[in-house]
Amino acid sequence: MADNMSKITAVLVLGVMILFGAFFVFGNKKDFSENENRELAETPDLSLSDAVDGKFAKNTEKYFTDHFPFRDRFIAGSAKLSTLVSESIVNGVYVSGDRLLDVSAEERDATDKSAELINNFCKDHSSAAYFVCVPTSSGVYGDEIPPYYQKNIENRQITSLYNSLSADIRRIDAYNILKMLNENYIYYKNDNKWTTYGAYCVYKTVIQKLGFSPIPYSKYTVEHVDFDFRGNLYDITQYKDIDPDTIDIYKCLSSVKIKSCISYDNNGKRENLKLCDKERLDSAYKYDVYLGETKPYLNIKTTVNNNRKLLVIKDRFGDCFIPFLTQHYSEIAVVSPEELNVPLSSIVNVDSYEQTLFIMGINSMSNSELFELLNK
Amino acid sequence: MLYSSLLFIYIFLPVSILLYYVTPTKHREKTLLILSAVFCGMINLWFLGFMLVYIAVNYIAMRTIDKFSERKEIASIPFAAAVCFDLTAVLIFRTKYFVSFLSDIGVPNGFFPLGISFFTLSVIGTLIDVYTGKMKSDKNVLRFALYIIFFPRLIMGPVMRYGSFNKAVKERRDGLYEMGVGFTIFVKGLAKKIIAADNLYMLYTAVGRVDYNELSALTAWIGITAYILCLYFTLSGFSDMGVGISYCFGVRLPKSFSYPMSSNKIRYFAARWHTNVTHWFRRYVTRPLSRSIKNRYARQAVSIAVWGLFGFWYTFSMNGFIWGLLIGTAMTLESRLDKRRIMMISGVIYTFLIVAVCSVFLAEESFSGAFRYLLAMLGGNRIFADTISLYLLKSYIVILLIGLYISTSLFRNMLIRSGKNKLSKAFNIISPIAVTGMLIVCTVMISYSGSSGMILMKL
Repeated sequence: MADNMSKITAVLVLGVMILFGAFFVFGNKKDFSENENRELAETPDLSLSDAVDGKFAKNTEKYFTDHFPFRDRFIAGSAKLSTLVSESIVNGVYVSGDRLLDVSAEERDATDKSAELINNFCKDHSSAAYFVCVPTSSGVYGDEIPPYYQKNIENRQITSLYNSLSADIRRIDAYNILKMLNENYIYYKNDNKWTTYGAYCVYKTVIQKLGFSPIPYSKYTVEHVDFDFRGNLYDITQYKDIDPDTIDIYKCLSSVKIKSCISYDNNGKRENLKLCDKERLDSAYKYDVYLGETKPYLNIKTTVNNNRKLLVIKDRFGDCFIPFLTQHYSEIAVVSPEELNVPLSSIVNVDSYEQTLFIMGINSMSNSELFELLNK
Repeated sequence: MLYSSLLFIYIFLPVSILLYYVTPTKHREKTLLILSAVFCGMINLWFLGFMLVYIAVNYIAMRTIDKFSERKEIASIPFAAAVCFDLTAVLIFRTKYFVSFLSDIGVPNGFFPLGISFFTLSVIGTLIDVYTGKMKSDKNVLRFALYIIFFPRLIMGPVMRYGSFNKAVKERRDGLYEMGVGFTIFVKGLAKKIIAADNLYMLYTAVGRVDYNELSALTAWIGITAYILCLYFTLSGFSDMGVGISYCFGVRLPKSFSYPMSSNKIRYFAARWHTNVTHWFRRYVTRPLSRSIKNRYARQAVSIAVWGLFGFWYTFSMNGFIWGLLIGTAMTLESRLDKRRIMMISGVIYTFLIVAVCSVFLAEESFSGAFRYLLAMLGGNRIFADTISLYLLKSYIVILLIGLYISTSLFRNMLIRSGKNKLSKAFNIISPIAVTGMLIVCTVMISYSGSSGMILMKL
């Protein structure tokens, strides 16, 4: 009997292997994964140099892995299984009781180079500079990550960054504001970014530093536009047992209107944009509701009649923050260094803005390449 | 492409098996050779090129040695040259001193000839056998090439003499039954690697994040336990996968591990740990050396030193050497001091404790690091347990217990004792489902990254 069972094993296992292999070969292949919100690997090109140095093998493996049949279901299962058999870290993301937290903060590079580039930028321009460095959710909820990780690592990273910024840049301490309020819904559970409410809490302090009095919370109506938001940490883990997030849009009950909001790409192509575009709720990344997909440069003009002009240099943390600023300035220029491919001076005249506000997540600050083009 | 990658499991392996079985019987060996070349080539063409040169050099040397077997003084020239060539290759790739030299001659960054430590040992053994006249060289260049690059053997051995490999290939019995046995062993190895080793590796690295000064004794012990089990499951997992794959083609390779963790004496542990490698060292280093030594103590010293060499072979660093020396010394001391029989359970615990203490040197990169870790294990930081150890214990208790259980022979013994009764029948009946299910579970666990690449040490 053992003989026959062995033969059955052979047929079954080989069958499964061939089945999945065939599914891969003949199955439909997508270019983009909605679920993971990323481009999937392209069919590898066979060139001699790639075959010689092993790039071809790597690309082939990546391609096969990305287009493996039922990938989405498999990785969801993988998240479940790995939290069962070992500690709850899935692909570098910690599954805390009710939220996902990125635990890679310790591996980030130093921020000195970025600080140096920003200092150079501010030295070259007359505009008064303000800097808000925002912690990610794992900085604010650091108490929840496994005890062998350093607890206030992001706080220390932010402090070290602030220490290396030159004295005339005004620093705004977002970390302690957020940390104090962390009982509230200030960070998404499935994303490493702050919620609009989190941004509002920091806005109140920032706008005072910029010389205005903040619009009180009572002046806003909050609309919950989506209850099913899964953010970038979910994209990595595909862990479904965390409640999905709510996306809020804040509307101010004031007379200020947006006159125009125009985005420019690197070639100067213009496009009209809405500050909050509900149609984006259908896209793979619902956070795009705020300011749409990231564009290198945005110009917002409002009906505020004070001729105050502000330049904002931001990463994605800034997206839900900027609508709050529109209540105070007649013109706001928004630059996203991560999408910028041309020198900043070729699209914006920095000196025509009396104030420059940086809103950057601490996770972007170790990537000094972002700031190279500011100085050219 | 490792055995534990989706591309290998779902494309390369089934295609290889199908191709092998559609080939007429007398050409099947050639198919294996071509498949192995493709396997190397799919890693990169540099690797394939390197392997071809390597095979050519050693084959020519072997034939020349054999031709002049009557005249040792001439035969020793190709012998020495080939051994030097092989050892130099190992040194160049396994140490970090030749990085700039390698990039100067155009070797792609990070290139490493997979399994070089294993096939070099095999080849050197064969050369020695031919040189000393224990073996006639084989004219069959195809078989010799297969001996070196046979893909199920490439990544983690086993180290074999040419004669035994030749016999295994010549007398292979292939068919559906063998394929079933092969898959069962393969999936077992895969599970060892992906389910056990990878999770234990997470635990080991988690402990590694704690500063030596803050390491509590319990955390340190958890960490080293994780390391030993992880090392065992990685090495034996890969070796099982290799044995399993080659079984599918009817080639029976020897196993490398026979439950070393359930040994009740260091001596037994040493005899069951990476058997074919330790055999190699005994056969080609210890024995020839001790033959000329009369003094008993000197002999024991030699045997300890060779254990050091074996440890060095693992890491190519001082710490590996120390690990080997410690295991060798523990073994010698044990056989001198204690001749009593020892209880199974207390023996296993005693062996584990000694191995754990020695293995700190294998796990840590520097001597001072190992020393400070040992201090922490002995409670030198005056903390017995802290939140970290409790957290780790709580999170990893399942995998630690499973790991400890399957690393011992308890499960196998239960099967053997069950003999022909119902239990064994039941196991037989569920085995096809269990094997397939386990394959799917492993697939799920590597679905995100596509492979399980962690191998602890580059061998």
